Amino acid sequence: MNLLNAIVFTDLPVYAQILIPAGILFVLGAVFAVLLAFLSNKFKVSVDERVTDVRAHLSGANCGGCGFAGCDAFAEALVKGEASVSSCNATSKENKAYIAALLGSGDAGEETVYVVKCNGGTQCKEKYDYQGYGDCQSMQLLAGGRKACPVGCMAAGTCTNVCHHNAAEIDNNKGYSNINLDKCVNCGVCASHCPKKLIQPVPKSAKYYVACSNHEKGKDVRSYCKAGCIGCGMCARNCSEGAITVVDNLAVIDYTKCIGCGKCAEKCPSKCIKKVFD
Amino acid sequence: MSYLFLIIGAIFVNNFVLSQFLGICPFIGVSKKTDTALGMGLAVTFVMGLASVFTYMINKYVLVPLGLDAFLQTIAFILIIAGLVQSVEIVIKKVSPALYSALGVYLPLITTNCAVLGVALLNITKSYNLLQSFLNGVFSGVGFTLAILLLAGIRERLRDSDIPEHFQGFPITLIAASIMSMAFGAFSGMFGI
Repeated sequence: MNLLNAIVFTDLPVYAQILIPAGILFVLGAVFAVLLAFLSNKFKVSVDERVTDVRAHLSGANCGGCGFAGCDAFAEALVKGEASVSSCNATSKENKAYIAALLGSGDAGEETVYVVKCNGGTQCKEKYDYQGYGDCQSMQLLAGGRKACPVGCMAAGTCTNVCHHNAAEIDNNKGYSNINLDKCVNCGVCASHCPKKLIQPVPKSAKYYVACSNHEKGKDVRSYCKAGCIGCGMCARNCSEGAITVVDNLAVIDYTKCIGCGKCAEKCPSKCIKKVFD
Repeated sequence: MSYLFLIIGAIFVNNFVLSQFLGICPFIGVSKKTDTALGMGLAVTFVMGLASVFTYMINKYVLVPLGLDAFLQTIAFILIIAGLVQSVEIVIKKVSPALYSALGVYLPLITTNCAVLGVALLNITKSYNLLQSFLNGVFSGVGFTLAILLLAGIRERLRDSDIPEHFQGFPITLIAASIMSMAFGAFSGMFGI
């Protein structure tokens, strides 16, 4: 240090004035390089190769529909066996099968599409006129929403707000929301945000679905909604395959039996059985 | 008492974001939610404290004896801070996965942040000793955390309010930040700091 102090830096030749600082930076950089190399070796965190592989075969939509923070977290949970690949809707069937085979567990699950199980809209009476801020979730806090039906679509836009792909649309003429299946990637984010739980999956092969979720008695349903399922059983009686049953005053279609003839939709007095791709 | 004034000065009077306008990038970028803002603030506090100590040592024992402190400080400090943060990140990842998931994503973001470099350089300009440098670093970070948390809280409220279309997003955020900055301006000159 004494030797260095004795030297006046600016008295040195120009090349030394350039080379000494450069050398110091080089040494500093080298010290950190060695340190980083040593640390990254010593503190190596081994990543399961399968996680990377699984992640590569997921859709990469990062929609959060599976309930995990994103595709990375989901891939990790899959490898750990904490999740099932069927809870991801955005991944294609082939990739799901690949992942299921890779992890040797779980079935790939059936491909589903999402539909809004409400047909009320303007045909359903309103309890009150909501004037205020927010969407369905805020409306729901005020006496369970503005619709007289406890499970009526309020069409205030929670599904359109949360959908990344603009697939959820509100039909202002009909007064309820619709999922545009051309744009939908089946992530299910809308389904988890709908306060009435009206957006539900049906198998991709399904032709018809029951566009009502009301389990109340027919007379009560009729008192506030002209388009709700009254549990009359007309659909069940007219189904040649016996695919429809009325459970708790609501028609339920068994998609393993349904052949998609559409007789039920024809006969339904409320017209609440609708085509999926309409 | 001088230490108390140093702490108050670092948090309020010379607040890094609102008085000195350093570190605006993470201040605006990571302030959408209060919990991520808190994570960012803690990471900045941590790195600032660490960087203050190490840059002080390198400056005192390497650069000053060689007479290089005048022009090599900035680049050497950037190197030190980046190297240091990266090594800490590696260690944390192994030693404490919980801490890593809380701070980890923010650490690489602030390796070359001007607020961290700013605190290192200001420590030298104000000729603080080691303890003062450390305190200044940590409490400047606390000041940053305070500012970013306040802004995140405001932005969470703003998101739910009816804002004219052209002011939505960044414009209204910048306006909010400038009003906050004026509020913090009331501290300036206090205690003669």
